[in-house]
Amino acid sequence: MNAVEGRRLHKAYGDLVAVDHIDFDVRQQECFGFLGPNGAGKTTTMKMIYGLAAVGDGDLRVLGLDARTQRREVKARLGVVPQEANLDWDLTVRENLVQQALYYGASTDGRVDELLALAQLSQRGESKPRELSGGMQRRMLIARALINEPELMVLDEPTTGLDPQARLAVWDLLDGLKSEGVTLILTTHYMEEAERICDRLAIMDHGKIVASGTPAELLERHEQPTLEGVFIEITGRGLRE
Amino acid sequence: MRIPAPSPRMAYRVWRRDLRVFSKLWKGALLPTFLDPVLYLLAMGFGLGTYLASINGIPYKDFIASGLVASAAMWATAFETTFNVYFRMNEYKLYDNVLSTPVEVEDLVAGEVAWACTRALIYGTVFLLIVGLFGLIHSPWAVITPLFVVIGSACFAAIGLSFTTIVGKVDYFTYFYTLFVTPMFLFSGIFYPLDRLPQWTHVIAWFTPLYHLVLITRGLILGPDALSVLGNTLWLVAVTAALFSVPVIYMRRRLVP
Repeated sequence: MNAVEGRRLHKAYGDLVAVDHIDFDVRQQECFGFLGPNGAGKTTTMKMIYGLAAVGDGDLRVLGLDARTQRREVKARLGVVPQEANLDWDLTVRENLVQQALYYGASTDGRVDELLALAQLSQRGESKPRELSGGMQRRMLIARALINEPELMVLDEPTTGLDPQARLAVWDLLDGLKSEGVTLILTTHYMEEAERICDRLAIMDHGKIVASGTPAELLERHEQPTLEGVFIEITGRGLRE
Repeated sequence: MRIPAPSPRMAYRVWRRDLRVFSKLWKGALLPTFLDPVLYLLAMGFGLGTYLASINGIPYKDFIASGLVASAAMWATAFETTFNVYFRMNEYKLYDNVLSTPVEVEDLVAGEVAWACTRALIYGTVFLLIVGLFGLIHSPWAVITPLFVVIGSACFAAIGLSFTTIVGKVDYFTYFYTLFVTPMFLFSGIFYPLDRLPQWTHVIAWFTPLYHLVLITRGLILGPDALSVLGNTLWLVAVTAALFSVPVIYMRRRLVP
């Protein structure tokens, strides 16, 4: 069984087609990346997987469950790192994790300290999230997403806006999760990131998947020395603003 | 449109978060809110009231104190379900996170209604105790007033959440207060009985939840008429039940499009 299967998956908001009949599989325990310019449909695809957008047309199976009808069951087994740091700003770092555990009905015994250590935030448990740097907030989001020991992590632009050191720290965290057998799906527009941590990629543009494969396959198929070259060749040079 | 029934377990988790935050903030930021109805009682009841004869044989301060218990609950619920919910939903994106967990929209709405009722219960009960300290309670039935404060608040919460989820722009919230909450406060029979006003004012008042809650709290505090308490309670329960699906539908449209 694949971790995620999209079949003719489609999503429109009014006249705007965000995701246009895409087919994709995410295998168990791999790191799968959606690449694409802004507005390509990456985030909408991710939101359908983690239940923040209703599935429009087609089929979406997540961990063997129907994302349309078994949303609660799907969400119970996912970890979600959104693009925006939607932390609970009124609670401390530690309380954020305790409350997140409650949303899942998960145990907090030792788990909160363990996650604080993993995110290198052990000293900041009593801080308010606002007092943390961008990199710390991002690590906290990842720690929060792990509270229910998810089988599948969905990360929407996990390193956007971070400095190189903070990005490395996030990559190390994701490497660790991968080696523990957690399936990862992420979106990014950093080619270096895609090459460094993704086993397989799908390049999206205008709501469609326009290319997919391992980074090596994509380089070979498009006869480009870098993924950046592949990306520009496929999606063009025009600005997407 | 049919909506799924909320899960009490999930709604509790949403409610628990609000309690967690409240228990940290109430001593500082929220304390002044407790004083609001007390100021009205002092200014109107003990100030203006000394110039007025009694109303239907009830001293003026006793008359308004029993009504202010209802409005204390209304104000608490209105702020909670407009500004506070707005910030959680639109500014802090808190609900995006909550809805990425096993909590669904109907659970979230139920949890927020429950929390708004809890807050109204706290504010209403504290004010009821103050009314008691002033010696303005005349019936032992007053002890069950908090229960009805909760029932009335659920109705206010359903209306407030409907407004917030439909309108969704903080700039328009003043309309809610100027055109709905404040008129209710002034014209629901808290400060004077509606008896001598034209018939149409009664009709309008009958359609507002505060009018019914005032009749209940005044009854219980001054000497209840069981049939009136029952009738007004039924009104509040029916309107709450009818409105509950509105914020669920509109919040889903906003957050899980």
